[in-house]
Amino acid sequence: MVVQNGQYNIGHICTKQQCDNGLGDKVSFRWMPASGRPSDFTFTDLEIQSNKFANVINNLGFAPGDIFFTFLPKCPEQFFSFLGVLKNQVICGTLFSNFGDEALLDRLGDSRAKGVITKKSFLKKLSRIRDQLPNLKFIIVTDIEDHMSDDVLSYSALMANASEDFITPLTAPETPSVLHYTSGSTGKPKGVLHVHRSVLKQCATTRDVLQLGEDDIYWCTADQGWVTGTSYGIIGPWGLGVTQIHYGGMYDAARWFDILAQQKVSIWYSAPTALRMLMREDNSLYQQYDLSSLRYIFSVGEPLNPEVIQWSRKILNKDIYDTWFQTETGAIMITNRPELEIRAGSMGKPVEGIEPAILDDQGLPVAAGEQGNLCLKPGWPSMFITYLNNDTAYQQKFINGRYFTGDTAIKDADGYYWFKGRSDDVINTGGHLISPFEIESALLEIDEVAESGVIGAPDDVMFEKVVAFVHLHSGIEASKELEIKIRLYISNKVSSIATPQELIFVDKVPKNKSGKIMRRVLKARYLGLDEGDTSTLED
Amino acid sequence: MSIMEPLTNIFREVFDDDDISLSPEMTADDVDGWDSLSHVNLIVTIESRFSIRFSQKELLTFKNVGDLMSSIESKL
Repeated sequence: MVVQNGQYNIGHICTKQQCDNGLGDKVSFRWMPASGRPSDFTFTDLEIQSNKFANVINNLGFAPGDIFFTFLPKCPEQFFSFLGVLKNQVICGTLFSNFGDEALLDRLGDSRAKGVITKKSFLKKLSRIRDQLPNLKFIIVTDIEDHMSDDVLSYSALMANASEDFITPLTAPETPSVLHYTSGSTGKPKGVLHVHRSVLKQCATTRDVLQLGEDDIYWCTADQGWVTGTSYGIIGPWGLGVTQIHYGGMYDAARWFDILAQQKVSIWYSAPTALRMLMREDNSLYQQYDLSSLRYIFSVGEPLNPEVIQWSRKILNKDIYDTWFQTETGAIMITNRPELEIRAGSMGKPVEGIEPAILDDQGLPVAAGEQGNLCLKPGWPSMFITYLNNDTAYQQKFINGRYFTGDTAIKDADGYYWFKGRSDDVINTGGHLISPFEIESALLEIDEVAESGVIGAPDDVMFEKVVAFVHLHSGIEASKELEIKIRLYISNKVSSIATPQELIFVDKVPKNKSGKIMRRVLKARYLGLDEGDTSTLED
Repeated sequence: MSIMEPLTNIFREVFDDDDISLSPEMTADDVDGWDSLSHVNLIVTIESRFSIRFSQKELLTFKNVGDLMSSIESKL
């Protein structure tokens, strides 16, 4: 049973409860740095280290409901701090380690975060925006020996003086827990707030969809900066006492398959972009690996095209099961899974307790087999409770009693769902949702740029790529150097994943009469399609 | 001609980190933020600043900074 004695606290369930259930000596994760020797951490280690961090932030004066962020690449401190923060009933947000200044400012500023844990090389980004973050009281740095000041503190120094004992307060299911920011097509990113109750659905789907049991070795390649990295790289597997592999290196086909084979990974959860990159390698690479321990491969982030499934069947002799969820849902909602016949290219069928529907814009059912808005009946345990500081936007996600996901889909006669696209302009590149508004805003900060419009366009590897249309101020000439300046500005101010893969200099960015960028028109022009109704375009 | 200094400056600009000091053994795992997308930024910037071009085949052979430096030097 995931929740015992009424204790819903995720930090407790992932650590102390596993120890109490007799798994204290079991390896909770094998840490495999990019270079150097692996090291094992038992559930007792996880309990002690997260307890110490819980005491650290308790001693610093954090109280339930305060907000703390991790801003780290994948590393053991990420897990200890995440779980320690939750044990305190402090809300834990996670930040993708490649976020630039603007992305950090949006998220830390909107949430009024009180603390962040990071590494020394990321301090420069934070220091550049620090004066705009009056609520940020503490920065804890994982790789400095001594405190740098009263508020830039050494992790190791703090942990050395912290007690190993921490009694997690009895935590009610509705207590806020994890915070992830997600992009919309307009406005700044919104903070998706979850509660500790989510552990029920995250563990249930880890068990019933990902098929994880206590003897499995599990590897989820997702970064902890995104919802998959927390829901299925921390909470689900450790809530069930499963041993994980966590690897600190980048994509490398040979290294990845070394890990799969040598670590005897039995369940692997990855992303279509990575799988498509693997498809591009010479197939002979895979013949040298013994994958007999690997039971199942799952995928998440963007639709898995049938070619990848066919490649995997032929080359790896394995099926790949595509799963669908989003930051707001907190856990897998619709999925392919081993007991279902795979319809290659489909999202699969809903998991137990989830009631999707295909509805029109008024919230009414469309005819069978027709495309419409993919909606969910509210009430599942891992459902978000609000967008932080923006409950109006949260309420707008519900029409006629159904949650509108922003995706469009169809349902076939056999009950399988098929993703068709987004109902907004959000770009899904490599499994990450990117706001065109965020990129357009950052582009306008570049002196030479007068107007900008950003769209997502189909891409063979990334599913969608970022394409930016830029109109320069008069007298400014387009050049290779300017293109590089723009690319690097976006990469460093927003994030590497937001970098335009194509930059197109134009004389004018189409807008409607009220000044709204007509991304629909830009996309049609880029794809060579009919531009549709252009009567609202400004002169 | 030593390319270490201009190449270091490019790395610092691309990865927004003035503390980067290059060595031939360095790999993507040693530089924060060096992912597949910022790698494209790096290559585009190097090509422009040194006025050279890499082939797709060459790009696949770079295992570390030393390989990258050797390739640049061979084109100058």
